[in-house]
Amino acid sequence: MVAVLNYFQLFGLEQDFELDSQALSSTFQTLQKAVHPDKFAHASSQEQLMAVQKSSTINDAYQTLKAPLSRAEYLLKVRGVDMPDEQATVGDMQFLMRQMELREMLEEISSADDIDAALFDASQTLDQEYLSLMKTLSAELAENSELSNQSASENLRKLKFYQKLNIELERLEEQLLD
Amino acid sequence: MAYSEKVIDHYENPRNVGSLDKNDPQVATGMVGAPACGDVMKLQLKITDQGIIEDAKFKTYGCGSAIASSSLVTEWVKGKSIEEAAEIKNTAIAEELALPPVKIHCSILAEDAIKAAIEDYRSKNGE
Repeated sequence: MVAVLNYFQLFGLEQDFELDSQALSSTFQTLQKAVHPDKFAHASSQEQLMAVQKSSTINDAYQTLKAPLSRAEYLLKVRGVDMPDEQATVGDMQFLMRQMELREMLEEISSADDIDAALFDASQTLDQEYLSLMKTLSAELAENSELSNQSASENLRKLKFYQKLNIELERLEEQLLD
Repeated sequence: MAYSEKVIDHYENPRNVGSLDKNDPQVATGMVGAPACGDVMKLQLKITDQGIIEDAKFKTYGCGSAIASSSLVTEWVKGKSIEEAAEIKNTAIAEELALPPVKIHCSILAEDAIKAAIEDYRSKNGE
């Protein structure tokens, strides 16, 4: 049986959250070149099939490692950290109150006197809170203890709310600036 | 994906949207959020000394199904005792609104909001 490499191993990377994104994309290109269909034009159909599968795995790995939230989630999975069900709700009252306020902030943008300024302020606020939470997540993942990994998984769930807020903000921008 | 008629009805005419005074000792607040979709739901209950829910208000940021689920539970809990309200299951909400499987988490959110509000009531009343 062939041992299955995890995505970090496949890319020859340390199993850390912080990574060199340039190295990631150049390794991606090198790996994809090696399994390019042109190289298998004269190979057996089984070899061609394997190359296609390999190419798809490399692609999945790249997409997963490239985005910080999916990379963090994958890293926690590799570390065997128990993660709450995708559908489990978050009950941190203070955090949720803040989420409500941020939603209200977005809601009020369309009635602001200066829409450009309101959009800018909102994006500043969201970026700031996202980055601060991301910094905590990164430190917890670097610490890599049972406790810090648990806390990282909780913060990862919180970061997903910010991801959603950013999508909402982008939608608003399109709608209001057109 | 098509929404059911009941979801559309609650979405277009949500019942009991708003807030109650969170400093009123009779008012309990439940807040929950779903990471999968980023939805946030606030449910507030006004509970009499006899433990009967006499008023309910909600504020939800999320998709149509999340709004419909919270609107529906505000209708359902009014007049119920807190014990009865605690019995409301997400499956009943999902069934009433004919939610598709991908939207089940919206009904879970509503069930958890009731539970969170009741927990808040109990801790406010030193239980």
